[in-house]
Amino acid sequence: MAADDDKGNAKGQAAPSQTKKLGRRDVLKGLSTVPALGLFGYAWKKQTEYQQSRVEEVAASTQAPADLQVINVALLGAGAQGQVLTDSMLRIPGLRFRAVCDIWTEYNQKRVVNSLKRFKHEPNAYEDYREMLDKEKELDAVIIATPDFWHAPHTIDCLKAGKHVYCEKEMSTTLEGARSMVAAQRETGKLLQIGHQRRSNPRYLHCYNKILQEAKMLGRIVTVYGQWNRGVTPDLGAPDRYLIPDARLKQYGFKDMHQFRNWRWYRGKGGGPIVDLGSHQIDIYGWFLGATPSHVMASGGNLYYDPKTHEWYDTVMAVYDYDTPLGAAKAYYSTQTTNGSQGYFENFMGDQGTLLISESEVNYAGQLYRDPNAPAWDEWVQKGYVSAPKEQETKAKSESGAIADVRESVAPDQHTVPVTLRDPYHQPHLQNFFDAVRGKAKLNCPAEEAYQTAVAVLKVNEAIDAKTPLAFKPDDFKA
Amino acid sequence: MEETNLSRSAMIAITVLRVVVGWHFLFEGIAKLTSSSWSAAGYMRASRGPFAAFFRWIASNSQILDNANLITMYGLTIVGVLLMVGLFTRLASIGGIAFILLFYLCNPPFVGYFYSIPTEGTYLIVNKNLVELCALAVILLTRSGLFAGLDRIVHGLFFGRTRVATPLRV
Amino acid sequence: MPGGGAEIDGGVGIEQPRDLRDVRRLSHEAMATVYEVYTVHADAEYAAQAAQATFDLVDRLERELSRFLPNSDITRINHLAAGESTRVTPSTLECLVIARHMFDLTGGAFDVSIGTGLPTLELDTEDFVVCATTRGVRVDLGGIGKGYAVDLMAELLEEWGVHTSLVHGGFSSVVALEPPPGHDGWPLTLSDPSASSRVLTRLSVCQTALGASGLRKGDHIVDPRTYDPVRGRRAAWVAVPRPTESARDGSSEQQHRAAPAAVTDALTTACMLLSLDEIETLCANSPGLKAWVLEDTQLVHFPALG
Repeated sequence: MAADDDKGNAKGQAAPSQTKKLGRRDVLKGLSTVPALGLFGYAWKKQTEYQQSRVEEVAASTQAPADLQVINVALLGAGAQGQVLTDSMLRIPGLRFRAVCDIWTEYNQKRVVNSLKRFKHEPNAYEDYREMLDKEKELDAVIIATPDFWHAPHTIDCLKAGKHVYCEKEMSTTLEGARSMVAAQRETGKLLQIGHQRRSNPRYLHCYNKILQEAKMLGRIVTVYGQWNRGVTPDLGAPDRYLIPDARLKQYGFKDMHQFRNWRWYRGKGGGPIVDLGSHQIDIYGWFLGATPSHVMASGGNLYYDPKTHEWYDTVMAVYDYDTPLGAAKAYYSTQTTNGSQGYFENFMGDQGTLLISESEVNYAGQLYRDPNAPAWDEWVQKGYVSAPKEQETKAKSESGAIADVRESVAPDQHTVPVTLRDPYHQPHLQNFFDAVRGKAKLNCPAEEAYQTAVAVLKVNEAIDAKTPLAFKPDDFKA
Repeated sequence: MEETNLSRSAMIAITVLRVVVGWHFLFEGIAKLTSSSWSAAGYMRASRGPFAAFFRWIASNSQILDNANLITMYGLTIVGVLLMVGLFTRLASIGGIAFILLFYLCNPPFVGYFYSIPTEGTYLIVNKNLVELCALAVILLTRSGLFAGLDRIVHGLFFGRTRVATPLRV
Repeated sequence: MPGGGAEIDGGVGIEQPRDLRDVRRLSHEAMATVYEVYTVHADAEYAAQAAQATFDLVDRLERELSRFLPNSDITRINHLAAGESTRVTPSTLECLVIARHMFDLTGGAFDVSIGTGLPTLELDTEDFVVCATTRGVRVDLGGIGKGYAVDLMAELLEEWGVHTSLVHGGFSSVVALEPPPGHDGWPLTLSDPSASSRVLTRLSVCQTALGASGLRKGDHIVDPRTYDPVRGRRAAWVAVPRPTESARDGSSEQQHRAAPAAVTDALTTACMLLSLDEIETLCANSPGLKAWVLEDTQLVHFPALG
């Protein structure tokens, strides 16, 4: 038989290879599917290589590179905020904790030292920060989380001792204090980062760089609304067995244990909720609007708490005027500590769109609305600057298909900011600080810039007392 | 043996089908062989249907389970290779049909049975296991390996031309 | 849901006989439930401050343990790629270690990963690092987080010297410290979760951790080991004695006794699935452990042995 397939040799002629059992065509056809194995092998190899490289990439990104310069760190202030910062720092590679300094040696200082020891650090414990600066020979940076009225002396002494400093906000309780910190930074040339951690938050950076600066999606921001509401809480106390002796309290500027625990509410020690809470958000106002305020008027009062233990205002409402590059704007800010309705957020309202954002990854994590008359945002959706809009039900169609009911407006499309932070909230800002110490980045909130926020924020308490709008001079913002 | 009267393009199509099904088996087999901890236990424990008790018994008996896992991993791989190169196609097809039948009976999408493992797509009696099983039947019955596969060479070497699928032309 | 279920207050309540008048009750919402501290203390303001400190602690734990927060330790773990690792806080790691221990102890009946592969997570207790060896593990600490929080809250109250108190989270995790004056223990009731007025038994507890698991009518839970829905078992309660303060410092062998409420939290979930014989064995192997299960309408009691 001719060795061919069905349709092959239609002529049916007897080929010379008729008597062969296995012709060339047979062999060819027989081997025709074997290359598929080769293809499989190639595809499999590529797949495993890809998976392997993903695993390596991932492992590499979580390891500190071998040549990472170790930074010797001291924590000055081991209270609630110091502990929050420490939790974040324990997740940053290449740090060695050399010292913890806190006057509450019986409680907070001991707790933080023990907690650091669990992570194989061996920090020395100090009560007096000057002793720490004297004795610690290998110290590169100091993280300051002490009460506001101590920020200036602590920061200046640390800078002058040759250390880089990350200092919690607010810079100081007074403008002079804040100014002297900037002066010390200039004089020593060391780094001074102020703890407005939203300046390094990836979502906020995305909004600033992409949505506002590049795409200008909001158009001209004309009004801003921000708030921080908190419910009623009892004063902070301390376990009976760990009270600090009066002498030590007075040595460090506290009249009693209650003032030590609740310094934020006392004049001369802190600035009350408008500084504790408002400072963060008013900093964002200036950053996003690209301007410093020209006026502020404010009203506030001690409406609820005992004025003997709460010297500052528990309720504050302030209105700022800004001359932004695109035109005039007004920004409202309010804070209260008697009700937590809606929590905290900032709402930037422009003629072409709205940005509702907060630091929280859960509530108000970043919603954008396009004004119906604004140009389409398709380009920005494509580029990934914002998510595709969530489908909104249009009430414009009536069932009979008649003309849209003009009494109801179509709900604007809601876009979200497609950036998620998986680390604790303060980690990016601390990472930025340490990157700058290593010469690999610029500070996102250097003291000179933070000074502008301090000026804007500290004026509010003044404006409440003055009961009249107060004006800023442009020079006020230059340290 | 009768000859099959399929057109050339039909046979090419069936060859492609054979290679594709073979690729699938080979991938499933190799994936299980190279994964660090694959076991059929989970699938079997979730068994529903008339044979549920049998599968759960296998899953609970570690000796038998180990053997079942080995047979499955190597069996799928071997069936895959054989189908792809078209060697011992009938045996491979029968083996493949046997495997799929077991998978199908372990979790058949019969009406009324609670299906605990989420599957892609919704199925009623016919699911992709059944489709693949039928594909193997076609491969088996059309003896695709003889047309374009190593079987053709094997037959040529050992059995001569009497059983090749060709139309008789005199 | 394998290993879990629609839980209400688990049928635990606190009786308020007339002479508990001096008991102050402070509440705080967190982790989608209400945490409360019941306390008797001479200085009411001091006690309120102590309670507030425990509520701040719960908030911190929620930030670390909640799978609903995008930047919590647990959410980060749930998003790890194969081979990727992440550092977590000591609390998170301790919770995971307890969860893993309970998984082993109950033969997989208690599984915080609901069948997605808890054993594939490598827990480094020296470095506080969690490494995912495969993708796809999803951890939900709902069945143990409240108990863990309540344990830490109780320890904090002791640190403040507020010993006469009881702490609970949604009444499904309870720790009783010292009883109110004139009582041997805090008066608790165990009730039918679908008919809470029907009291099944009364307890008087002190220095005890109690966990509760209950189902509303019509709800089912699925056994993660067999995928069978569980029928008949409607509630389970487990109680273990709280170790004394010295036993809790540093002893790492008996880890499960260092966090008794976390353990009871896990055990009650497991007891919804274990057979009566298995529960009996569990009680025999764990000195001081007591359990109750509600089978349809019958309350079965497993008294403490040894």
